[in-house]
Amino acid sequence: MVLERKVAFINLTDDSIEIKPVPLDLRKKLLGGRGINMHFLSQSYTPQLDPFSPDNPLIFGAGLLTGTLGFGSRMNITSKSPESGHLGDANVGGDFGAEWVKSGMSHLVIKGKSKCAIYLLIKNGKVEIRDAQKLKGLDTVETQKRIRQELGDERSQVACIGLAGENRVRFAGIRTGLKNSAGRTGLGAVMGSKNLKAVAVRGSLDITISDPVNYQKYYLKQIKTLMETKWVQALGRYGTPLLFQYANAMGFLSVRNNQCTTVGDQGDTLEAEALEPFSTGMLSCFGCPAHCRHRFSIEEGKYRGTKGEGPEYASIGSLGTKLGNLDLQNIIYATELCNRYGLDTISTGSYVAWAMELYQRGIIDQEITEIPLNWGDGEVILELLHRIARRKGFGNILAEGPHAGEVFGEASKDYLLNIKDFPIEMTDERLPKSFALGMATSSRGACHMRSRPSLDVLGLPEDVLRKIYGGPVSSQFSNYSGKGRMVWWHELLNAVCDSLGFCRFLTVFSSPHAPQYRQFSKLIALSTGLVLTPKELRTIGERIYTLERTMLVKDGMTRKEDTLPKRYFDEPVVEGPAQGEVILREAFDKMLDEYYRLHGWDGNGVPKKETIRRLGLDEGN
Amino acid sequence: MRIKVDPQKCSGCHLCEMVCSLFHLNLINTEKSAIRIKKDDLDTSLNSPLLCRHCKEMKCLDGEEVIKDEEKNRYLWNRVRAERCPLEGLSVVEEIAYHCDLCGGDPQCIKVCTPKAISIAR
Repeated sequence: MVLERKVAFINLTDDSIEIKPVPLDLRKKLLGGRGINMHFLSQSYTPQLDPFSPDNPLIFGAGLLTGTLGFGSRMNITSKSPESGHLGDANVGGDFGAEWVKSGMSHLVIKGKSKCAIYLLIKNGKVEIRDAQKLKGLDTVETQKRIRQELGDERSQVACIGLAGENRVRFAGIRTGLKNSAGRTGLGAVMGSKNLKAVAVRGSLDITISDPVNYQKYYLKQIKTLMETKWVQALGRYGTPLLFQYANAMGFLSVRNNQCTTVGDQGDTLEAEALEPFSTGMLSCFGCPAHCRHRFSIEEGKYRGTKGEGPEYASIGSLGTKLGNLDLQNIIYATELCNRYGLDTISTGSYVAWAMELYQRGIIDQEITEIPLNWGDGEVILELLHRIARRKGFGNILAEGPHAGEVFGEASKDYLLNIKDFPIEMTDERLPKSFALGMATSSRGACHMRSRPSLDVLGLPEDVLRKIYGGPVSSQFSNYSGKGRMVWWHELLNAVCDSLGFCRFLTVFSSPHAPQYRQFSKLIALSTGLVLTPKELRTIGERIYTLERTMLVKDGMTRKEDTLPKRYFDEPVVEGPAQGEVILREAFDKMLDEYYRLHGWDGNGVPKKETIRRLGLDEGN
Repeated sequence: MRIKVDPQKCSGCHLCEMVCSLFHLNLINTEKSAIRIKKDDLDTSLNSPLLCRHCKEMKCLDGEEVIKDEEKNRYLWNRVRAERCPLEGLSVVEEIAYHCDLCGGDPQCIKVCTPKAISIAR
C-alpha cells in the first residue's frame, strides 16, 4: 500500500478536488516527502510567482516510509516562501504524517484561495472542505481541540495556523500537536493567504508489508544498534537542549545578534540540566525510539501554570542568548507563546535581535519601536511577540520580516544577518567552517539542517572521515579543507531522509554509527518490495538537491548568493573560545569550488547540462 | 506471565502498536493491535498503554463455555469480550477485538519500548 499512496490536487477558489495516483516512476526518482514536493513546486515555480498569490501551491508531503517502522515518521511542507521570496520548505514531526498516510494518501497540492475560512478533512482517501469561520482567531492548540470536538474523533490529527498565519506574518509556521512545527520559511502565512485554517486527517487503512517477517527482524536489529549510540542515548535523556551547552562551550552561539558567540558561565542557567526541574517526562514523535522531547510544567513564579512540550535548543538560542536573554522561564514562556500564535521561534528571534541591535546602535529609536528594545528584557520580548502576531504597531513592521529593512533604512541592512533573504539562526558559524558553508549553500536560505555537517566536531581520525565521505576531510572543524565535500555529502543524505520521512537525529547527525543509505535501502525493499541500491538512493539525493537548485537559479541566485553575512567575513569573533575566528574569503571560495564540482554544477553554481541530463531533470522531473 | 505497564515512562511513540499488528497480521495498523497507547497529545497528561492484564478473574469470558488457557493464546477475539473487560484492556475495530496473546511467550512490543514503559512480569 505504501507505493499506492495518492496525491490530492485541491483548488480552494473553485472547490475542485482531484485525487490521483503518485506514479511509480516518480517514486523511483524522488521517493516521497520533500523530493516529490519539489517536483510539484517546480511545476509552478517562476520568479514572478507571488507567494501570496492563489497560484502559489502549498504542498504537503509524507515521506515514502512515513507511518512504518523506520527511523522516524516525518513529513515536509513546501511552497514559495513569503519570508525569503524563494524556495520555502519545512520538515515536521509529531503524529500528523503517520495518521495521514493511513488514509491512503501521501501528498496534497493546494492552490487557489477560499472566499472564507475553511479547513480540509481527509479521511480514508476522501477530501472534504469544511467551514472554519468559528475557528478564526483561535490559537493553534485550541484550533486542534475544536476540530477534534467537531469531528467527535480524538484520534484525528490536525495541522493548523494560529493568529500569526491568519495575519500573514511572513514567518508564521504550521503547527500540529503541542509543539511540532513546520516552522521555517513562513508556510503558515501561505496557508493564511488561502484562508485555510487547518488540515485534519484520520486514517484506518492497513499498511501492507512486502516481507513482514524479515522486515521486523531487520528493524529490531537496527533499533538495537541505534540505541547503543552515545548520541541517541544522550538525546533521549536531555533532548536537544544538550546542544546548547556544547555550542556555548565552543563559541558557536549567537549572542546579541552574533556580536558575541558565547555567554560563558552565565549559560549555566540555560543548560539541559537547568531544564530538568521543569521536565515531567520525555516524549517521542510517532515511530521514534529516541524520545528527545521534554514535556514541561512551570509550577512556581511569574510563569506559573505554563505547560507544554519543549523547548528545543533552537528556541533557547533564538529567544534566549540571541536576544541577550538568560531567563530560562521567560524563554520557555516565550516559546509557548510563539507556539500558540504559530510563529517560527527561530525567525522571530532573528528579527527581534536585528531590531535590538539597530536600537543599540541608534539606527532606529523609540519613535518607531514604541518601547525600549534593550537586550535581555524578557517582558519586552513577550510584548513584541504579541505585537508581531497581532500586527500591532511596531509588530506590524517586524511581521514583514526582511522587508522591515525598507522602513528601517539602508543602514539597517548589514545588521540583518541573512542568506538568500532568510535570517541565520541561533548559532554563529565563524568557527566551524563546514557549518558556515552549509549555511551559505542551503537551498532554503540560511539553514543548518539542510546539511548539518557535524561529524568533524567529534574528533574522528581523518582516515575514518575519508572512509565516510569518500575523499579527504580535515578533522579540525576550524579548517576549510574537504568541507565542501562534507557539506555536499550531508545535503544528499538529508534530502533522502526528508523524502523517506526519517529524522535527522536518527541518521548520521552526530554519530558515524547511525543508519544511512545501506540501511535505508534494506528497509525500503523489505517494507515495499521496491529495490533501490544505496548508490541509487544517493543519486536521488543529488536529484532532489539539484532540482531545488534549479528553482533558485530561476530566481537569479547563483554563486554570489552562496555567501555569508558581512559580519562573518569582516568581524573576527571578539571573545571566548572562538575569539579571532572569521571566514577567509579565499578559503571560502575554495570550499565552494569543491562543493560545486561534486554537485556537477558549474563555477557559478549553476547545474551543468550534463548533470541535469544525468539526473533525468530534463524530462519534466 | 503478563505485561506490566509504567505510564510514567511511556513516550507515546506507538512503536508497540506497529510491531504488534506486524507480528500477528503481517501488516501495520496501529488500531489492530492488542496494545494501544491512550494519549491526548494536546494535553500534558501521561500516556497510558492499554492491554490485557491477564488477570485471574477473566470477566471477559463470563458466560462462555470455553477453555480459558486456549483463549489466552488467541489474538483475535470479539467485541462482546472486550466490552466485558472492566479494565479497557482490549482494542476493538468493528466487531473484532485484539487480545494480547503474549506473542506465544516472546512479546514483541517490549523489544521496541526503549523507555521501558512495558516489561514482563512473571
